[in-house]
Amino acid sequence: MAFESRTNGFLHIVYSEMVGLSIGEKYFIQGGIAQDLRTDGRKRLSPRPIFVETGNISQSNGSARVRIGATEVIASVKAELGRPSALHPDKGKVSINVDCSPTAAPMFEGRGGEELSSELSVALQRCLLGGKSGSGAGIDLSSLAIVEGKICWDLYIEGLVVSSDGNLLDALGAAIKVGRHYIVDATSEEESQMSLAVSISVNRQGNICGLTKRGGAGLDPSVILDMISVALSVSERLINTLDSQRAAAEAGKDEL
Amino acid sequence: MRGLQLSLNQTQKVRLQRALEKLESLSSKPNSNASVIVADSIPVNHEDGLLKGHGTSEVNGEVVATVCGVVERVNKLVYVRSLRARYKPEVGDIIVGRVIEVAPKRWRVEINYSHDAVLMLSSMNLPDGIQRRRTALDELNMRTIFEENDVICAEVRGFQHDGLHLQARSQKYGKLGRGQMLTVPPYLVKRRKQHFHNLEKYGIDLILGCNGFIWVGEHVEVTDDMVVDQVSNSEQQSAKADKKILSPEEQERSYTPQETRENICRTANAIRVLSTLGFNITVEVIMDTVELSISLKQQVPIHEMLGAEFYVLVAEKEAARRSLTKKK
Repeated sequence: MAFESRTNGFLHIVYSEMVGLSIGEKYFIQGGIAQDLRTDGRKRLSPRPIFVETGNISQSNGSARVRIGATEVIASVKAELGRPSALHPDKGKVSINVDCSPTAAPMFEGRGGEELSSELSVALQRCLLGGKSGSGAGIDLSSLAIVEGKICWDLYIEGLVVSSDGNLLDALGAAIKVGRHYIVDATSEEESQMSLAVSISVNRQGNICGLTKRGGAGLDPSVILDMISVALSVSERLINTLDSQRAAAEAGKDEL
Repeated sequence: MRGLQLSLNQTQKVRLQRALEKLESLSSKPNSNASVIVADSIPVNHEDGLLKGHGTSEVNGEVVATVCGVVERVNKLVYVRSLRARYKPEVGDIIVGRVIEVAPKRWRVEINYSHDAVLMLSSMNLPDGIQRRRTALDELNMRTIFEENDVICAEVRGFQHDGLHLQARSQKYGKLGRGQMLTVPPYLVKRRKQHFHNLEKYGIDLILGCNGFIWVGEHVEVTDDMVVDQVSNSEQQSAKADKKILSPEEQERSYTPQETRENICRTANAIRVLSTLGFNITVEVIMDTVELSISLKQQVPIHEMLGAEFYVLVAEKEAARRSLTKKK
């Protein structure tokens, strides 16, 4: 009898602030990006520091809370046993749900956040399902209740899902194009200026699992290759940081 | 330390702790017995006609505080003033705000208060500088003065029946461009004689709004409209019209110069650090912090100013500065 492992990942997003910008401010931001000195002093390609806490949600098998600037993302993973589908008897099922909480931004009130949620869900699904060719055997039974966390999201997406057995780690790198330059890890003000954004998901081996382009502007293929290489290098650093932070957090938990 | 989301290593934690303890010991506490927390009973004489003001409540015949703060007494009025209060506008305050709506004969401005403030068209100087009655044409051209999402600087005129009114009749008030606006908790900006600061050394303008909005931008020369004659006025107007349509190359040339931009970034980061640490924001402290970061340019590049090491350094510097002023 084949057990399927159904891993459900939930990603909850909360937006913290989004105000309009005057023309002078926008001009200033564009100038900063052109001169490689952004409003908080970062270079075009330097990301903000990331903070990871694991194990926030005790009901789920694995959970993590990632913070970048004022953005927070909480992800949780639950695994349960279920029957595999007839078409793929040896594969498990992964379902991903992204929820943008209304407390994040006024525009998420009511049904406002749904478009963004579905967009993010699809992007994540593509990269996660591409990375896993089939999940392993089922693990312990969890309750059927859905677990959601709360995430504050101010900056661009850097979502992280930690699976229950911890061997799947995806880092999403997002490069945003403003004017003629592109920047990594934009703040919400910089994001309001963007013509388009490319999210590249890279797994631990450095292979690209998924590529999503958002925004209406056209893009030269050579620029995409450029952005990919940038995302690869940034993601490598990110993965290392995340790993060390996760190890530190788990070591701290063991000591208790 | 609200909002401190940095990972400090062990030595940094110890240093920060020590600096904060030193600051606490230095702070004068003349009326420490007047500070109350919620449900503390306020010592009163139970005399007649005692008015119980904000933050108090009568419970079992006792006057009890409902907020944490300091007890203030004015004649027969007793109230509790909380320390981390919302911005409370007073007449003559200089504020920085953002226009959110263009309404008939007025602009609505957001100023970090419970209501929006109103800037009447009549409280604003017209572009041509002539003092005259505002006509219907002026009303139609309001958008050329301020648009939505513009950042402006104004002064509180007073409370009218329909809300808080502002005025911007001097040349130093008006639209702000070429810079960035920061938000800090309003209680960190105390009322002083001067809120406009021109940091000539760095070529930047610094406006500390009493409402917690702070503007850091390129220095703009304040020209007096009345003195300029008609010829140069028309020149200016034609120059302004050309500015709207600039090709990308021309735009690049007219961006703020690199050095000024660095200074603006440094000042903005200094203000962010100070606001997270909870220190009062004054020009002297900001200048000290910026100079500290310039002197440490090698170890602490600009983007590291928001990192753990610089936080601890700023706390230590502030402790040292306050002990120095205390000794004087």
